[in-house]
Amino acid sequence: MPPPDSRPVVDVRSLHVRFGEVAAVSGVDLQGHAGQATALLGRNGAGKSTTMRVLAGVVPPTAGEVHVAGFDVHTHTLAVKRLVGYCPDVGGLVPRATPWEHLQLAARLRRLDDWEARGRDLLERFELGDVAHRITAGFSHGMGRRLSVVLAALHEPEVLLLDEPFDGVDPIGVEATFDIIGDARARGACVLVSTHLRELAIQACGTVLVMRGGARVATMDAADMHGEDGARAYRALLD
Amino acid sequence: MPTALSSTDPWRAVRDVGHLLWFRAATGRRRVSRAVLLIVLALTTAIAVVPAFVERPDERTLDVLIVLPTALAAFLLLSVVSGLASGGGRELLPRDQGVAYPLSPTTDHLGALLLTPLNVAWLVQTWALLGATAYAVGPAGVFGAQVVVILWIVLASSAAQAIAWAAEGVRRVPGGHLVLRGLGVLAAATAGWLYFTDRLSAFLDGLATRSLVLGAVSLGEGNAGQWIRTVAILLLAIPLLVAAGAVAAHLAARRHPRDELRIESETRTARKAPRSDLLALLRLDRASVWRVVPMRRGIMVLALGPGLVGVAGGLDWAQMTILPGLVASGGALLFGVNAWCLEGRGVLWRESLPVDPSVVFDARVVVLLEFLLVASGITVLLAALRAGVPNPGELAAILCTWLVVVLQVVSASMRWSAKRPFAVDLRSARATPAPPGVMVGYSARLAVSTTLTSLIFSGLARLPVWELSVLVALPFVAVSGVRVLRARAVWLDPEQRVRIVSAVAG
Repeated sequence: MPPPDSRPVVDVRSLHVRFGEVAAVSGVDLQGHAGQATALLGRNGAGKSTTMRVLAGVVPPTAGEVHVAGFDVHTHTLAVKRLVGYCPDVGGLVPRATPWEHLQLAARLRRLDDWEARGRDLLERFELGDVAHRITAGFSHGMGRRLSVVLAALHEPEVLLLDEPFDGVDPIGVEATFDIIGDARARGACVLVSTHLRELAIQACGTVLVMRGGARVATMDAADMHGEDGARAYRALLD
Repeated sequence: MPTALSSTDPWRAVRDVGHLLWFRAATGRRRVSRAVLLIVLALTTAIAVVPAFVERPDERTLDVLIVLPTALAAFLLLSVVSGLASGGGRELLPRDQGVAYPLSPTTDHLGALLLTPLNVAWLVQTWALLGATAYAVGPAGVFGAQVVVILWIVLASSAAQAIAWAAEGVRRVPGGHLVLRGLGVLAAATAGWLYFTDRLSAFLDGLATRSLVLGAVSLGEGNAGQWIRTVAILLLAIPLLVAAGAVAAHLAARRHPRDELRIESETRTARKAPRSDLLALLRLDRASVWRVVPMRRGIMVLALGPGLVGVAGGLDWAQMTILPGLVASGGALLFGVNAWCLEGRGVLWRESLPVDPSVVFDARVVVLLEFLLVASGITVLLAALRAGVPNPGELAAILCTWLVVVLQVVSASMRWSAKRPFAVDLRSARATPAPPGVMVGYSARLAVSTTLTSLIFSGLARLPVWELSVLVALPFVAVSGVRVLRARAVWLDPEQRVRIVSAVAG
């Protein structure tokens, strides 16, 4: 847990997001601190991915206040995008571009210098070095997920947002993602991980936020979600 | 997907086509679709009947009758080219949506055949054939003649579909694409030889479609026996060709699409880092266009086909003004009308990058613009080979038409892309950027606007004052510019952009 006086890097207050008649998020409050990893857990349609998209600056909030590193996402969207590394829940890759071309674009738009060595290292860590120059349309789902994590982590962002990073990923990819989260925490980044996989979430994160029906229903230490008791507690929160 | 043919397969496939049609109808805008269908049917009936009752000189009807066999053969040829370019015709259910269902290649084939009329080029050719037939035969023989022509249209479409599947099967075997390219070169060389040795007229006169025309007019001339024989032959041939298409579809489905797999497994040479945000986005967008099989194939057919027809037909500069609009419209239908679909689901990641959305919009417009300019430019260059040196008026007219129609198409495309975005996977050569019904609407609107514009410049090309073309072009350019700016404003609005991005990301 962060010290009580530390200012949150991610500060979400009463977030509402509506798509026409559908309320995707209705009143989420969330604080994420430097060096802390928070897992967002919940059923399908709980509003996890929409919350992540708002934090990434992809979806504007309908109501509420969302600040990332002190910037309001509504008014300083570009500044937020510069600070955030985002792995989207679906796809996340341009089908006709190679992993290296993805990295080149991200590096160019984020004004990174001397990024190539880190890019190669990340690709190797996620076992994507051999396919760095093949277009991603032929990638398996797991390969695509792994590359999305690489792209989110390339610029060592202040806020790392990983939406379903473990979905369909093999154990080596899961380990590599754990390392990325660990590295980010060690250098003082705020990490948010949205997933359905409770056991992996509590391994990777110190805090768990459970969402239901577009709203937060509980925030607890990851340790409290361990084992059979944790599973029962989680299940009770979902019903 | 089961690929083996069985005796029960055709009936099951027919039923499955019915289910898929119901599914498509349920997910579309029913009232609009019904209204459009009724309008098209009414228009087709009017075109097939009314010209028979207009006052016309005998020599004109004879002229039309003489070219009718060539027109019927041209319909078959264009249907084959269209089928070859689209890798077996359109999909009733997109491949990525259809994988979960036990749909046979026969279902796929019948679905593609059923979707054939949802194509403005096909409709225009059909109307031209029906109208010309009615005009040529007059009120007495119009019914009998139109029955034969309609059956021929069905037969030609079925034959084209079967040939397209067979070609797709050949393309999927090792070296198959070389065989097809060889056949293409051979066909072009034969056509060139016929043309340059003055044998083309004799060849056209000897076409089997001449007997078809004789059969078509025979009922009106009191020779019911010949008409019945012609109709019977067509009725017999159609199911055989449909069945042949099903067999060819099964053979093709047993093999991997080599073109698509080759592009997806190729190792690309890394290039130097781009020097600006715009160049970086342009590089990504160009990769999304030029590394897609349907784009490459489609643009090749679009650029070369009308150009070669222009050369063969010996079009003059004034007539040539019709070509850029035709090619630009076709080019936009490859991806431009749903321009934001290029990144597919990667649009979410691209949206999370720190770049001004206006740069993203500008890059997309530039890529679409250059795609259409290159394609229509190649067509004009080809067609110009036999047109001689243009005078200043003709040169100004063709250049202004080129610019004006391409800008018209770009502005319409960006407008529609923002208004109705669709999540599509352009991986397959048979994929289209929007559902078939929507594509018909887009292609009709593009065809009408660019043809009318081209006709204006065609008239201006015959005037000796070149400045006039430039003056007329200015308001067209201004209107297109304003429309592009409006589409840009929609994209720059965060609420609208998230609507587009969410739709495209699926």
